[in-house]
Amino acid sequence: MSSPDDGSASGDAFETADQQPAPYVESPIIMTTVRVVTPFVFTFGLFVMFHGANSPGGGFQGGVIVGTVVLLLGLAFGIETTREWLGPHPPVVVVGLGVLVFVGIGTGSVLLGGGFLEYEAYGINHASKYGIELVELAIGAVVAGIVTGMFFAISAGGAPGGEPE
Amino acid sequence: MTPVEIALLVFVVACAVAAAALRDVLASIIAFGAFSLGIAAVWVLLRAPDVGLTEAAVGAGVMTVLFLLTIAKTVRPADEALFESVDPWALVTAVALVAVLATTLGALPAVGAADEPVTGGDVTTYYLENSYEDTEVENAVTAVLAAYRGFDTMGEAVVVYAAGVSLLTVFGREVFG
Repeated sequence: MSSPDDGSASGDAFETADQQPAPYVESPIIMTTVRVVTPFVFTFGLFVMFHGANSPGGGFQGGVIVGTVVLLLGLAFGIETTREWLGPHPPVVVVGLGVLVFVGIGTGSVLLGGGFLEYEAYGINHASKYGIELVELAIGAVVAGIVTGMFFAISAGGAPGGEPE
Repeated sequence: MTPVEIALLVFVVACAVAAAALRDVLASIIAFGAFSLGIAAVWVLLRAPDVGLTEAAVGAGVMTVLFLLTIAKTVRPADEALFESVDPWALVTAVALVAVLATTLGALPAVGAADEPVTGGDVTTYYLENSYEDTEVENAVTAVLAAYRGFDTMGEAVVVYAAGVSLLTVFGREVFG
């Protein structure tokens, strides 16, 4: 990056175009904060997912909050480190499982002779309540997986089939 | 309107204008995050905490991080101007569009008015009266989302799934990252 007018001002400009991946600064304050906060954020995300039946919240919101845990880890410990720690498959697996569970619950009640997502067709006690909780959990899995995956995908960039530099 | 509502709306509009007008992309993203947080508070004031929670988590949280990741791959403009230069014709067009859309505002009922269809309509009344017996969940929004309108919600979940699949297709990968 060369600025023809003032070569002295190039120091404060971002020079990230040629240093991939996104710049990571190791900060003990951020790392400690994230280490303390992460379990609570994760638990709160699950709470929003499960308690969405009785209070504001639900799968979409809770899933984003659970996905935020991975984003926090990525910001604190470096995206590459987090990606290696998590492995390449969990986001994809979680997303696929979530969709399968949702579609499975919906069509399962049809197979048992009810309507789509007619929870009573399963014949369990409180089938509706448990069914809704499970559906919320499935939605949360889809959203959390996609949020995490988008985070990694955007940070890695779009080199077709190639590893990030 | 209460002073809190007025202050909040001024804050939201100021953040929106700042996000559009600031020349530095980083400053623009920060203004956009503040805008989302303000909008989340507006939703809570409008008694829509479910939407407020979504806006706070997605708009102010995740979107800001994704934008920051994106601009880390771009180059900062060299000049030192604080604000973007505004094309007058674009400004006139945008203001005219907002003015045309604003003419519909008079047809909306007041927030919380007793005779508006949302509070007194047959559908709303049915959900509020029967959702607990039908679905055993106390949050009527969840009852509509996951039981009465569950098919629509499955569509939403599949849209999110499809977005992820298309992202992978564009990047030519089988797994994220």
